[in-house]
Amino acid sequence: MATTFGPGRQGGVFRGWDRFDYVLVLCAVGLVVFGLLLIYSGTYRTYEGPPASFSNPVTKQAIFAIFGIAMMLAVSKLDYHYLTHYSVVLWGISILSLVAILLMGHSAYGSTRWFNLGPIQIQPSEFAKLATILLLANFFSEHGGDAKDLRTLLMSLAIVAPCVGLVFIQPDLGTSIVFMAIWLGVVLVAGVSRRHLFILAAVGLAVLPFVWTFAVADYQIERISVLVDPEEDPLDAGYNVIQAQIAVGSGQLTGKGLTNGEQTQLGYLRVATKDFIFSLQAEELGFVGSMVLFGLFIVLLMRGIRAAQIAGDISGQLVAVGIVILILMQAFINIAVNLSLFPVTGIPLPLVSQGGSSLVSIFVSLGVLQSIIMRHRAYRQT
Amino acid sequence: MSVLGEGFQSPSGRSRNRPHGNLAALRIAVILMFGVLAAQLFNMQIIQGGDYARRSRENHLTRKEILPPRGLILDRNGTPLVKNVGIYTATITPAFLPEDANARYALYLRLEQLLGVPALEIQSRVKEKEADGKGDIEFPIKEGLTKEQALALEELTADMTGVALTIQPGREYVGGDAFSHILGYIGKQTPEEYRELRTEGYSLNEPVGKAGVELTYQDVLRGEKGATAAEQDAQGHLLKALKSRDAVPGSNLRLAIDMELQTYIAEMLEASLPNPLTMNQKNATTAAAVVMSAKTGEVLALVSVPAYDNNIFAQVTQRGAEYEALATDNKTRPLTNKALSQALPGSTYKLITAAAALQEGNITPATSRDIPSRILEIKGENGVIYNLIDWRAHGSGIDLTQAIAWSSNIYMFMAVCGIPNGSLQPHKALGKDVDSSASIFAYYQRGFGMGQATGIDIPGEDIGRVPDPAWKARNYAGPDYTDNDRDWYYADTCFTAIGQQDVLATPIQIARMTAAVATGKLFTPHVAKDILDADGKVIKTIKPEWKSVPVDEANLAAVRRGMHESVLAGAGLKAQVSGMDIAGKTGTAEFGTQRPEGSYDQHAWFTGYYPYNDPEYVVTVYFDYGVGGDKAAPAAANIFSWMNQNLGK
Repeated sequence: MATTFGPGRQGGVFRGWDRFDYVLVLCAVGLVVFGLLLIYSGTYRTYEGPPASFSNPVTKQAIFAIFGIAMMLAVSKLDYHYLTHYSVVLWGISILSLVAILLMGHSAYGSTRWFNLGPIQIQPSEFAKLATILLLANFFSEHGGDAKDLRTLLMSLAIVAPCVGLVFIQPDLGTSIVFMAIWLGVVLVAGVSRRHLFILAAVGLAVLPFVWTFAVADYQIERISVLVDPEEDPLDAGYNVIQAQIAVGSGQLTGKGLTNGEQTQLGYLRVATKDFIFSLQAEELGFVGSMVLFGLFIVLLMRGIRAAQIAGDISGQLVAVGIVILILMQAFINIAVNLSLFPVTGIPLPLVSQGGSSLVSIFVSLGVLQSIIMRHRAYRQT
Repeated sequence: MSVLGEGFQSPSGRSRNRPHGNLAALRIAVILMFGVLAAQLFNMQIIQGGDYARRSRENHLTRKEILPPRGLILDRNGTPLVKNVGIYTATITPAFLPEDANARYALYLRLEQLLGVPALEIQSRVKEKEADGKGDIEFPIKEGLTKEQALALEELTADMTGVALTIQPGREYVGGDAFSHILGYIGKQTPEEYRELRTEGYSLNEPVGKAGVELTYQDVLRGEKGATAAEQDAQGHLLKALKSRDAVPGSNLRLAIDMELQTYIAEMLEASLPNPLTMNQKNATTAAAVVMSAKTGEVLALVSVPAYDNNIFAQVTQRGAEYEALATDNKTRPLTNKALSQALPGSTYKLITAAAALQEGNITPATSRDIPSRILEIKGENGVIYNLIDWRAHGSGIDLTQAIAWSSNIYMFMAVCGIPNGSLQPHKALGKDVDSSASIFAYYQRGFGMGQATGIDIPGEDIGRVPDPAWKARNYAGPDYTDNDRDWYYADTCFTAIGQQDVLATPIQIARMTAAVATGKLFTPHVAKDILDADGKVIKTIKPEWKSVPVDEANLAAVRRGMHESVLAGAGLKAQVSGMDIAGKTGTAEFGTQRPEGSYDQHAWFTGYYPYNDPEYVVTVYFDYGVGGDKAAPAAANIFSWMNQNLGK
């Protein structure tokens, strides 16, 4: 492919690394290490094989993390315009794989989200999020650079809508919400007209009752009502809500110490190293540990916003904004579920939860951010 | 380069492809969203953290209580009267039963096979519970399973959800029917009892004493609960025992009751009751007897016949009809302890009458009266003529000893009520008028323990009745009665003096009174002797308690001479046992309505003690029908004789 991007000032292998955001990477690695400790604590009682085996969840996660970091470095070396340029293709593949998974994927906890590829499970929605961000950014930068035009706005909605719909019928309410939040964040930064937004909001509110009646599964309603009163169904839907509450609350200020949380260690808390890893963290490391975790996330996100701020062009800025919202919303929803502020939905805690797809896709996203940071001068147009 | 900064200055210049978005809102959003999470986290971990920590402990710690073995009850020689056993009960929790109606019915059928409870009955009881909204409460379908049934059920419960086998500590009463009224029984706490007992640390599944000494000495027999605590995982596997505290068995209770004596008396009395089926005229259907130590107030025997098997209370579901028959037998009321039930005491009451008259100085032991006729004609209030009747013409020159020995009514009338002016032989009454005489007499009756609980350590005794002017006014209060009904008359005192009309006393009260005449001490009777630990060491002895009667020893001695004479050559002759020096008093109390030929139904009493010179034991016998000297005295003689041959040997 002969297409070149930008003014063509790239030189040797080491060019641009001086602008590489090490703070961002340190925060990400910090969160991964945090996650590895928690996964160790949550699995050492049940895992009995050798430590250096791919079936050891800690080792597996560490290998994914190394692979993710390598991907991040590779992607950051790549001009993000390659990605935005081919974003339609990436998006198309994502949509196809989301359709495919509905037909042949694997189910867990009542929801179909995975492909099994040997020992690895691939969750296409993780990559669909990034592809959608890239396509949205590309779309706006090619259509006048903003979202002021109603036609443009509606077309951008058409990019997100298939993803929201396909994920929603998996069913995965949380990821649908993440998709919608990405769209909303990107169009806000892209300067959407308030009038248009109000109209869309009004239409959305009018449609909501129908969605509630015809599209929301019973289990989702149950999860929402369980949030209001978990004791209503203590054995089924309410079980993990109650157990997570007890785990989090009983951690108190300093926690029970790593590997000492009874809620986790005695198996009361389910999926303790995945969707409920925050409860494990809060039980064993307490309020203090949670604040450290929050601190790492906030710095990471602020560095992402910085990338958006200094981005050399509109597509770079919108991609950065999309990635920030992607990480922010996943972290927020995941922790909110753990704290009984949001109905139970299968969203992992970025960089921390056990799971390769999420980890690698977040590192790829961070690589895109680095790419934007490293090239912001090159694409700054004056 | 600051970690968060740098980006705040917007890039200068404007271009169609220059980034121009406002990112401040995004920064604010990040801070706000993590702020909300931090606030909720603070609420859960810091503000409510202690509460959640407690719930976490409850989550994984299981505490199991160990019920202590209940203390045994022994007779005075150490023979156990009870045995601790496990009571196996099949229970159902409707909420855990299979949803499917057919599966449920199949389960009921298996239970029918195993337990003999009809499937339809189980079904209707389950439906009833569910209709009452009690579907999640376990209820018993059959209690007191045999070991074989329990084992078979245990095997089946593994694949029968909602059905369970529970084991409750229970009692088997091995002493025989004669001990039922004394021992009482244990049972489940009622909701009312539990509300009170749980403040004392009881758990709901602990059985408690319901009657008899099982109830009185509940605290002694109970022991202390033990507990185990263990850590358990979410699947309910016990991981490690954290600590345990052994249960402390209840203390053993040794009774003053002599098992052999109690059994002998019960059998003897039972045998002396005619068979109600072959009986062609009115005769005794119930009887009671008390044997009490005159030195300590200990009760060696407390018998009430007919008796019953108190194991029935633990097996109500199997023996329901039998229990129903006992509970509804209004003729003999077998569940009632006759030794603690009140009846007209008849002439046994003359012991108090004589003591009161002596103490008040109305008579001396030597006071003699001429009783030439069965009928004493007295001109009472407002010119009313009373014809006071004795059971025979005692003749002339009757002194106190003769009067007691031959149980003269007229002598006692004269001693207490006096003979009003205008009659042939005027005598002084106890008081200056009819009312004060009655009050002074009531003082002595109470002094001998009448009209009040004896304080015996078996719940449910009657308190008897001491009639006096105040009682009569109270009893006939209200518009249904006139002032004439309420007034206390001369004759009221006379009838009280011979234990007739309105007086009521229980056999235990009469026994206690007899001991008081014999020793001057009004004892609090006890069936319990002492409390022993598991090794048989005495922890606590139940000490004799008494108060003195308000009568001098010389006067009591005069009464005793009459009792001695009664058994030697008087109305109580049939209580005599050769080789024993017994003193006693008969009683024949008329009750009910007069028959056409002039006679009444009668209770038969005998109360006495031996040896005459150094009173050791009191024996009181009561039959609900009969003549004291003919029915009760011979039964007492049997008891005296048995004791003479067997006690202390």
